[in-house]
Amino acid sequence: MATIGHNNLNAKLVGPSTPFRFPLFLSQNFVSDDLFLSSFPQVLLGDMGAGKSSLVLRFVKGQFLEFQESTIGAAFFSQTLAVNDATVKFEIWDTAGQERYHSLAPMYYRGAAAAIIVYDITSLDSFTRAKKWVQELQKQGNPNMVMALAGNKADLEDKRKVTAEEARVYAEENGLFFMETSAKTASNVNDIFYEIAKRLPRAQPAQNPTGMVLVDRPAEGTRAASCCS
Amino acid sequence: MYGTKSKIDLAFEYQSQVAVLRPSIHSRRANLTVKFQDLYGFTVEGNVDDVNVLNEVREKVRQQGRVWWALEASKGANWYLHTTIGQSSALTSSLKFSALTNAITLKKLIRKGIPPVLRPKIWFSLSGAAKKKSTVPDSYYDDLTKAVDGKVTPATRQIDHDLPRTFPGHPWLDTPEGHAALRRVLVAYSFRDSDVGYCQGLNYVAALLLLVMKTEEDAFWMLAVLLENVLVNDCYTNNLSGCHVEQRVFKDLLAKKCPRIASHLESLEFDVSLVATEWFLCLFSKSLPSETTLRVWDVIFNEGAKVIFNVALAIFKMKEDELILTHHVGEVINILQTTTHHLFDPDDLLTVAFDKIGSMTTNTISKQRKKQEPEVMKELDQRIRRLNSLRTDDK
Repeated sequence: MATIGHNNLNAKLVGPSTPFRFPLFLSQNFVSDDLFLSSFPQVLLGDMGAGKSSLVLRFVKGQFLEFQESTIGAAFFSQTLAVNDATVKFEIWDTAGQERYHSLAPMYYRGAAAAIIVYDITSLDSFTRAKKWVQELQKQGNPNMVMALAGNKADLEDKRKVTAEEARVYAEENGLFFMETSAKTASNVNDIFYEIAKRLPRAQPAQNPTGMVLVDRPAEGTRAASCCS
Repeated sequence: MYGTKSKIDLAFEYQSQVAVLRPSIHSRRANLTVKFQDLYGFTVEGNVDDVNVLNEVREKVRQQGRVWWALEASKGANWYLHTTIGQSSALTSSLKFSALTNAITLKKLIRKGIPPVLRPKIWFSLSGAAKKKSTVPDSYYDDLTKAVDGKVTPATRQIDHDLPRTFPGHPWLDTPEGHAALRRVLVAYSFRDSDVGYCQGLNYVAALLLLVMKTEEDAFWMLAVLLENVLVNDCYTNNLSGCHVEQRVFKDLLAKKCPRIASHLESLEFDVSLVATEWFLCLFSKSLPSETTLRVWDVIFNEGAKVIFNVALAIFKMKEDELILTHHVGEVINILQTTTHHLFDPDDLLTVAFDKIGSMTTNTISKQRKKQEPEVMKELDQRIRRLNSLRTDDK
């Protein structure tokens, strides 16, 4: 499956303060700006300390903290992303990493349209854990879920334990797309979310008159935009 | 009378005086967000109104302190430590009666807040921590920390990982000294109860206990009594089964106490556990401002874990009108987060929690838990079996 995209020059973050205006003739029964956007629930899974919260913080606020508070249960974020001429709103569940929190995870991934499974390239254990998540999502998750594998902390090259090649092969075999990211340097962070947005099945205009076409590729599934339909 | 003030709290008071009391004219005018430090040294972001509320709360804390000193003058020193009846049947009936009236007075008083200086003493006694400690040799904590020093276990590795991630930026917790103290408490507890070991979330609870109790040893015993006696069993063990039970009980209670909210959220397919899990596991320490959190804990240590339900329900109840107008999961979460982060006046929350939610006895809650337990166990068990079969398929 495709890997790191270089065609992402159109990826642009739309700040929460920039309302997206949809041409009126396409949607006359609007109530609020929210209806112009398709919202996609998304979940981040991975071992404790892999950098899930840091990735989200970088994506949503453009910040990086050396020590990010440990997440309990899960934290919620939303971010709007312009993809070509469409706008996608991500509703992101950033989950707790400790193994015993595993039993809570279905609550967060059950309705998710996309998942990023995060591991730390300096930890083999975290890569093993990531594979377990992939397996679980393949069996238990939404069948149309777009899955991404993120090898985070790519800035720590000298401490690397998991090669990019190994992860890429694994991702290809399992139908995920793969990127190495660094929440610290921001490398590939927006790109991975952008790549997800491109792969999300487009909303069906007939079923969802206030929704919009997201991508110009053929729909991969019949799953309409959730939440706002 | 109040004992000597430790370095920690002097530092806090000094810093908070400087940072809080005078929001600049500019920020006042522009209604900008200002950063300031609260009573326990946490940096808080809020607007000028929040700063004013926080200053009012300080004043209320002072007034409440005067009520406590007046009672101490009339009822005698440490009267609040003698409210348990029944242990010695040799008590005369008049003494029993005074213990009972004291217990009633104390319950009301505690719902209005324990003065920060009295918290360590009162929590330690009322929670049962003092009693727990008295059943083992005095050197228990020291011996335990010495015995486990230098040992490496999965729990200690996770604790080490979380130390700098526990309230980062706090002027005492986020220092080498603070990290070392928190580490000793958490590591010691992980050896005391290997079923719990270390569960993420306990770092926040233990950190706040350290700030209040001032000594590691007392914080350790508070953590022990909390996990072993106050909270429902297995909240933090293996698959958090106790926490799952609490969440189911909470959903039932919400449907009963706030039916309009419950049915609206259900129509949005919003599972309240999405947000409430963190409240229960961290006992609100990650969501509410520090003094508000501690006011909730005041009542938990006196009345028990049922109080968590009162408070969680109150957070929803306070925003009923807004919540039933929401269209998206995201809106619901935003309302709840904004509400909890800005609950600087503990009375706003506790009045709703106790006056508007209506009383729930520990007994009713226990029955509810019993009812939910088999279902939770079955579900967790099925899940484990499914995951195991998935792993063997793979081989």
